[in-house]
Amino acid sequence: MKRRKLDLAALPAKSAEEVDARLTVATPLRRLLNKVFPDHWSFLLGEIALYSFIVLLLSGTYLALFFDPSMEEVVYDGAYSPLRGIGMSRAFESALELSFEVRGGLFMRQMHHWAALLFMAAIVVHMFRVFFTGAFRKPRELNWIIGSLLFWIGFLAGFTGYGLPDDALSGTGLRIAHAIMLSIPVIGSWVASSFFGGEFPGTVIVPRMYIAHVLLIPGVLLGLISAHMGLLVKQKHTQWPGPGRTNDNVVGVRMFPGFAAKAGGFFMIVFAVIALMAGLFQINPIWIFGPYQAATVSSASQPDWYVMFLDGSTRLMPPWEIRLFGYTLPPLFWPTVALPGVLTMLPLLYPFIEARFLKDNQAHHLLQRPRDVPTRTALGAMAVAFWAVLTLSGGNDVIAEQFHISLNAMTWAGRIGLIVVPPLAYYIAYRVCLALQQHDREVLAHGVETGIIKRLPDGGFVEIHQPLAPLDAHGHPEPLEYLGAPVPKKMNRLGALLPTVRGFFYPIEKPAPPVRLDQPSEAPVSPAPARSEITTGS
Amino acid sequence: MSWKLGRRRRAVRPDDAVPAFTPPGRWRRRLEATVRLIAALTIVGGLYAALAPGVSQAEDTPPLSADAVQGKQLYETTCISCHGPNAQGVENRGPSLIGAGSAAVEFQVGTGRMPMARQEAQAQKKPPHYSWEQAAQIGAYIQELGGGPTLPKGQKLRATDEKAISRGGELYRINCSACHGFGLGGGALSSGKYAPSLNDASDREIYAAMLTGPQNMPVFGDAQLTPEEKLAVIGYIQSLKANKDPGGFGMKRFGPVSEGLMIFLVGMVALVFATLWIAGKS
Amino acid sequence: MSGADTQVRHGNDEAVDVSDPRLSRFDLVREGARRDGVEIVHYAPRFPVPGTKAEKRVERTIALFFMLTGLFATAFVVIFVAWHWEWHPGNNAGSWFTPLLGVSLALMLFCVGAAIIVFAKKLLPEEVAVQERHDGASPRDEQVLTGATLLNMADEAGLGRRPLLKGAIALGLAPVAAVPLVALGGMIDDPHDEDMYHKTGFDPEANGGNKVRLMRENLTPVRPEEISAGGQITVFPAIPHGATNQHADSPTLLIHLRQTDADELRRNLGHVPINEGDMYGNYVAYSKICTHAGCPASLYEQQTNRLLCPCHQSQFSITDNARPVFGPATRRLPMLPLEVDSEGFFVAKSDFEVPIGPGFWERA
Repeated sequence: MKRRKLDLAALPAKSAEEVDARLTVATPLRRLLNKVFPDHWSFLLGEIALYSFIVLLLSGTYLALFFDPSMEEVVYDGAYSPLRGIGMSRAFESALELSFEVRGGLFMRQMHHWAALLFMAAIVVHMFRVFFTGAFRKPRELNWIIGSLLFWIGFLAGFTGYGLPDDALSGTGLRIAHAIMLSIPVIGSWVASSFFGGEFPGTVIVPRMYIAHVLLIPGVLLGLISAHMGLLVKQKHTQWPGPGRTNDNVVGVRMFPGFAAKAGGFFMIVFAVIALMAGLFQINPIWIFGPYQAATVSSASQPDWYVMFLDGSTRLMPPWEIRLFGYTLPPLFWPTVALPGVLTMLPLLYPFIEARFLKDNQAHHLLQRPRDVPTRTALGAMAVAFWAVLTLSGGNDVIAEQFHISLNAMTWAGRIGLIVVPPLAYYIAYRVCLALQQHDREVLAHGVETGIIKRLPDGGFVEIHQPLAPLDAHGHPEPLEYLGAPVPKKMNRLGALLPTVRGFFYPIEKPAPPVRLDQPSEAPVSPAPARSEITTGS
Repeated sequence: MSWKLGRRRRAVRPDDAVPAFTPPGRWRRRLEATVRLIAALTIVGGLYAALAPGVSQAEDTPPLSADAVQGKQLYETTCISCHGPNAQGVENRGPSLIGAGSAAVEFQVGTGRMPMARQEAQAQKKPPHYSWEQAAQIGAYIQELGGGPTLPKGQKLRATDEKAISRGGELYRINCSACHGFGLGGGALSSGKYAPSLNDASDREIYAAMLTGPQNMPVFGDAQLTPEEKLAVIGYIQSLKANKDPGGFGMKRFGPVSEGLMIFLVGMVALVFATLWIAGKS
Repeated sequence: MSGADTQVRHGNDEAVDVSDPRLSRFDLVREGARRDGVEIVHYAPRFPVPGTKAEKRVERTIALFFMLTGLFATAFVVIFVAWHWEWHPGNNAGSWFTPLLGVSLALMLFCVGAAIIVFAKKLLPEEVAVQERHDGASPRDEQVLTGATLLNMADEAGLGRRPLLKGAIALGLAPVAAVPLVALGGMIDDPHDEDMYHKTGFDPEANGGNKVRLMRENLTPVRPEEISAGGQITVFPAIPHGATNQHADSPTLLIHLRQTDADELRRNLGHVPINEGDMYGNYVAYSKICTHAGCPASLYEQQTNRLLCPCHQSQFSITDNARPVFGPATRRLPMLPLEVDSEGFFVAKSDFEVPIGPGFWERA
């Protein structure tokens, strides 16, 4: 038998056949490639968190090659001369080496830290999107719970990372963490001494946090993120209501190639923003803070932004201590143990609470616009306001100093604001929702404002409205039902204007002819209005 | 009494030296007000001197040095309204300056904190009314009146060798950073008071502040923080300022507050625009 | 969907023979999607007429982005390899290394990303696909069958009629659950050992019964006359490692009060009986560890005699036994009993008389 020549052109197909013969993947792979994703900017917010996590894993692995989490006392003799001769822990020394003696090490450190801040920021913004659009409703409660847990696990990841370099700021944070553990009723002192292996700070806490930070917590994060995305694929994405979109379908682009290309490009953009911030904005300059010493501290000692709300709650807490039968419940317990407990449980249970209140047992795949669910939107605004007051109070000393406000006044403003601002936010958000709804209804009833003013025979002026519905026999527009979907509010949304001329400096192509509303569009390239509403939902 | 005429002529000098960019109307108003004030003070002072012999030129006090004489003239133009004649202090307006020393005067006047614009939680640093030389003259006057801590000579009061700077850093972190911050940015104190930023503080200013403990700052006398240690602390502060942040823009070295602000203002805003672009119609 | 729908065939439910040579590749794509429950309802090229000016322009844009990518990647490599990156004091090349790395890497990544996104948005065909959801509960039959499969196991195990097994399993497995808990128990550390929350480095017993001197961070002992009136100094117990984190609960603030302030404090000492006699002249020493969360409360205002903690802004009145006057702290800062030894150095008469630092359950 004659040996066949290697046919390069047939090689990919041949290899694919061989793989499929062993793994039987043709069908599931195609099913995955053909999966339809709806296209809307707000659906990309969660992706930012996912991509930051990838950057975190990559940069973190790099840092772990150099970092030594030991609390052994050493005397620094490295490249950063203002700290030479200073006693410090080996962990701090190796963080300095990483910053000043590893080529590109400082850049990697900053990239890791900015990616962490972005990870948490994207989680929070994504969570707002999911909450305000009702995407957490049945059947997605489980994914909402996983998402909420991801925030808290990310919070732990951030805190343990913040504590690792053993600089003066992270040591101060650890000291507060120690005090928080101490404040737990009955078992507090046992918890604290067990975590720290004895007295604060001891010699084991940094190694213990290190193993949590590089193994346990990332493992849990990885598992939860996989589950989060697995459920997303299984349950398919929610979509905005619009023509052709129902509770039983997904309208969008197939994953391959359209969605995959955009997602890949977006990963690069997210990575680029992290790299840019890592290069241009200095973060956590541990060499300025110096090594942790129990007696040193700085004004403006703050945790990273996602922990700041707990710092704020601690600052605002009035000096209330409970002493009973010779036992003490310190004031630190309420804002740092009780409050986070409530803040963890309340969001976890919210989907079930809302379903119970609305007696709603249906599966929902269409999103709701925030204005169409005023109560939920207002509750959300209330929660955001509560969180914002706490977070601002976490930085109230910096605000006081920068804007020349009395520190004590800032504390009182926070205490009062925490009670006053959330209900106010509720009321305002509720009214704004109703007003937006009302405007939509007006446009549906009377049409879009044209900007054309007509003078009536009696001298009055009226604005002509372009009705959205066809006219009935009497010349009145037929009434349109309010569907909770976007309503066009400008004439050019109706195709009344010519499309923009292409070209930045000079026109390169004649614009397509204006679309006639009463005729179906023929040109495949012209942006037909109905189709554009499908793809963007706005 | 002949020197009093001289005082009248000389005392206008500080306002003569008002920089050119001051609007002429204001300049003129100020000048006239100053001249009127000085005239009134001269008359009152002259009458007082005439009617109460022994106050102005007591025989037993040593004569003032040339600097102190000039300083006395400046003092009696501005400071006297709150700190009283001969720096004895005025109830509820200003403390006695006996024993304050020239270092305190140089700091307070040279940084523009004194004369105060109004009574408030804390005297603010502002464009100085008198130059540092004039402040030193007033300082000499106060010094010769009641003694007190003085500054060493020279403008550059800082250590520059590496060891001293590193020791200065250690001292800074244990004594200074609690109020002024690791990044020198200052910090809030109780009820509207604050520790000022050190970012535009000169060597002499910092030295004088440590030595005299202006306002609510604790005093670091020479027995507590030796002159060498003070120079080391200043050396550390000034080297920290001179070192460009190796990690990019330092965001005033405020730490997590500015970092948190940045991740939303720059990071999230940029990426939300990116999502709008990516998901938008082509 | 009016216009676009006319171009594509709908509802073609007959299975397509995929080996039919007349089928285009896109026909196969659509058939594959159809079999996956996805209908491509609109699929149109961005540039129906190939080679127009506009298409060329998009091509050039994408090409430019890729070229720039290469340029910035090269720049990153060159900067990384060739730049004088070492840190030196002042403003020099080393302090521009990280910004340059960041900018070149970010531009590289941005250009790749932009090229891909422009490609996807401007060159890939415009597409609208509709996928049917098949969510919700499984058919009733399926639920019944799966339930039976699971419950069958319980029937076969027959624990109901085999009580011995039931008991044995319960008794046998209960201790197994304790195994990991006990293993973790290695972490447990008894806080009451050595009384860690009640003693500091100033405890004379740990110093061989000798009273412990106060020292600076550079290990020198402190004399009263060294501290200026209106001044403060951070002191540590003069024992081995006294100024290190091994004695993180010991840092103490030694304050030399002005005469009037000292008089006021002396008058107020009676408010806290255990503080009586703890001052030495006009000197007083308070624990630096805040009674709220343990930060060093060390922002000393020498005119208003307040001590502020920078972490949560608790404020303590120095002239009233460090009474908390603002913020979340509830307890006074403990006072260290001071005296001066025969050589004229400060010593602690005894340890702090109440536990220092933040509160905890067993603290009375």
